[in-house]
Amino acid sequence: MLYVVLFFLLFSLLLYVLLGGADFGAGIVELFSSPRDKRTTRDTIYRVMGPVWEANHIWLIILLVILWVAFPAYFNVIVIYLHVPFVLVLLGITMRGVAFIFRHYDAIVDESQVWYNWMFRISSLITPVFLGMSFGALISGKIILAEDFSSYSFADLYMLPWFNVFTFLVGLFYAALCAFLASTLLIGETEGEVRKIFSRKSAYFTIALVLLGFILIIYGYVQEVLFIQDFIHNPVSLGAVGLSALLLIPLWRAIKRQNRIASRYLAGLQVVFVLFAALYAHFPYIIITEGKELSLLEGLPPHSVIQNLGVMLLIGGGVILPGLFHLMKSFGMIKIFKTGEDEVGQ
Amino acid sequence: MENLDFARLQMAFTLGFHIIFACIGMVMPFFMVISHKKWLNTRNPLYLELTKTWQKGVAIFFVTGAVSGTALSFELGMLWPEFMKHAGPIIGMPFSLEGAAFFVEAIALGFYLYGWNKLPEKFHWFTGIIIGISGVASGILVVSANSWMNAPTGFDYVNGEYINIDPVQALLNPAWFTQALHMTLAAFVATSFAVAGVHAFQVYRNKRPQLHKKAFKIAVVFGAVAAFLQPLSGDLSAKDIAERQPVKLAAMEAHYETDTNVPLYIGGIVDEEKQTVSHKIAIPGALSFLAFGDFDAEVVGLKDFPADELPPVSVVHYAFQIMVGIGTLLMIAGLLYFISLKYKSLLKRKWYWLFFVFLAPLGFIAVEAGWVVTEVGRQPWVIYGFMKTSEAVTPMPGMEFSFYMYVVVYLILALTVTWLMRRQIKVLNSVKE
Repeated sequence: MLYVVLFFLLFSLLLYVLLGGADFGAGIVELFSSPRDKRTTRDTIYRVMGPVWEANHIWLIILLVILWVAFPAYFNVIVIYLHVPFVLVLLGITMRGVAFIFRHYDAIVDESQVWYNWMFRISSLITPVFLGMSFGALISGKIILAEDFSSYSFADLYMLPWFNVFTFLVGLFYAALCAFLASTLLIGETEGEVRKIFSRKSAYFTIALVLLGFILIIYGYVQEVLFIQDFIHNPVSLGAVGLSALLLIPLWRAIKRQNRIASRYLAGLQVVFVLFAALYAHFPYIIITEGKELSLLEGLPPHSVIQNLGVMLLIGGGVILPGLFHLMKSFGMIKIFKTGEDEVGQ
Repeated sequence: MENLDFARLQMAFTLGFHIIFACIGMVMPFFMVISHKKWLNTRNPLYLELTKTWQKGVAIFFVTGAVSGTALSFELGMLWPEFMKHAGPIIGMPFSLEGAAFFVEAIALGFYLYGWNKLPEKFHWFTGIIIGISGVASGILVVSANSWMNAPTGFDYVNGEYINIDPVQALLNPAWFTQALHMTLAAFVATSFAVAGVHAFQVYRNKRPQLHKKAFKIAVVFGAVAAFLQPLSGDLSAKDIAERQPVKLAAMEAHYETDTNVPLYIGGIVDEEKQTVSHKIAIPGALSFLAFGDFDAEVVGLKDFPADELPPVSVVHYAFQIMVGIGTLLMIAGLLYFISLKYKSLLKRKWYWLFFVFLAPLGFIAVEAGWVVTEVGRQPWVIYGFMKTSEAVTPMPGMEFSFYMYVVVYLILALTVTWLMRRQIKVLNSVKE
């Protein structure tokens, strides 16, 4: 059953990174659109993301619940030492969620829309940056596990581990990933001129993503971040990144041909590879603190808890996944290749 | 004030905020689907208009509830890391089920909001039902996790370790049923009277009275029925607390001296120093009877509990008085509504509508007061009898800043949502009939 729990942990992490990421990314794409394109982007986002965006973010809650039920010791470290960035993430999630709903459900459309729009765009950018920074803090080896909390300063324990150049690069990388996912997704949802806009956006964000990835790895290597060093010396991880890079070729061709379906799945696959590469080299030691690596599998709760959670997840998954699939299919987020055939003529 | 106090204030404030949105998110979908059903049956366009307006309300409240709920699921850990480290695995079951129910709700909401003219009519309507049912299920599950803190079961506590964990027993702890029932009914009472009050105000102002009377009727029926059931559920809760958490019961009643044939105090001013209650109305023997079903039963007083295990008595006592007082008033209001079904002339009176306007916020005040009773009444424990709140709090200093930030952000949010609701009604009223 531990494997079922681990599967759902990684599965919800992946889906949050992919779907939640595409959702954040949509706001980033809008932020970086010319004033002329902003309106189009806004309407496209509403049409495409509207029905599913709320569901996309529940993966975060599922992830959180699995962590605290099955990996309490691990969760404990995260919530104590990442308190400050989490507050910022939550602020971002709150602002973003309400801004999205306000701007589409306000009965009167007037100048208050300007507020909603900017709130939505800015929080769409900062939330993934802080999320990335939090993850960066976990792997950068700067967290100090204190025995006696009073012998350290606030900055040492609660600020410096997450607020530094390395974590900032991780944050930017994740934000770029989100924007890349969103723009690639939106290509498939638009026609003609608008589609060209998103194709161009997709190309820009791919370049930004690859560049940031390189800078991140090089910086991490130079700064002797253990996680990055091990990552580079691990053939499987490197292979996965290599594969992900190779996928860029068909992806570019798909984007150029403005292929609705292939580009979407290729982009998703790339993220799977990157995430796999990042986690594989160090699994299960996902938290690297100063002088100690914490295993996810340390301090597991009793067997009965894992057993129960596994069963609950299987039942929950059995109810949710078909429903979610049906929702995404009904509103065109998931496209089966067959419906893509009519694209050939265009 | 210390870090612990600010952490508690923040938890109370964010929970108090979330509860309002969660209640509305749980109950309003039911109004929406009834109006929707009436539209499908009668094809009266007023019902369609009402459904679509309520649907916007549901969307706004659902999202605000969802984001504040996300914040809460983080906060449980961020504010109370020691608590979650030990309690997390034990109460994992209600939370994982709640996650699933919440997910179902979000999926159904996606179908419902965006399904107009796209989905088959019946299926579309049905997704609305799913929103309501999964919302109520979420609420019940979260309350069950809370009730475990009042009635911790499903583990053995040996040398500071929580072992032999049985998640099912923890979920079905002795307090879960009474608490879940009381809260679900409370959500219906509070939301119904709030929504009814908003529409009663429009009738009072004579703005599209035909439409708003329909809305009022759908909403108030739920509240009136639930308000009559609530005292029964309250009685179950009281008897349960008398048995399991006698100190909480004593604090609710500000009952200091252990005695038999104990009177029930209504109102009264508590002096915690002198341990006395003045200016109260006492009903002889009533507390003994309500708690144990026997006028001569002994009720243990606060003086007989260890001094360091007492909750803040006056807060709990006043909150309890407010909850019961409002509950009684809303029951009378429910009665008035049922009377007006027979004597329709009442509906022509201005004061009738004004009375319901006045009631609009009261249900939520009662809900908040009720949570103060159950949460403050459990202090100083976070896990009753096993872990003190002071042992659970985060080691991070500076909680006051975080608390003030949440107050500012959530107040702005609350004001914005209220303003948005006003705009919804404004637009609704501007349509010419």
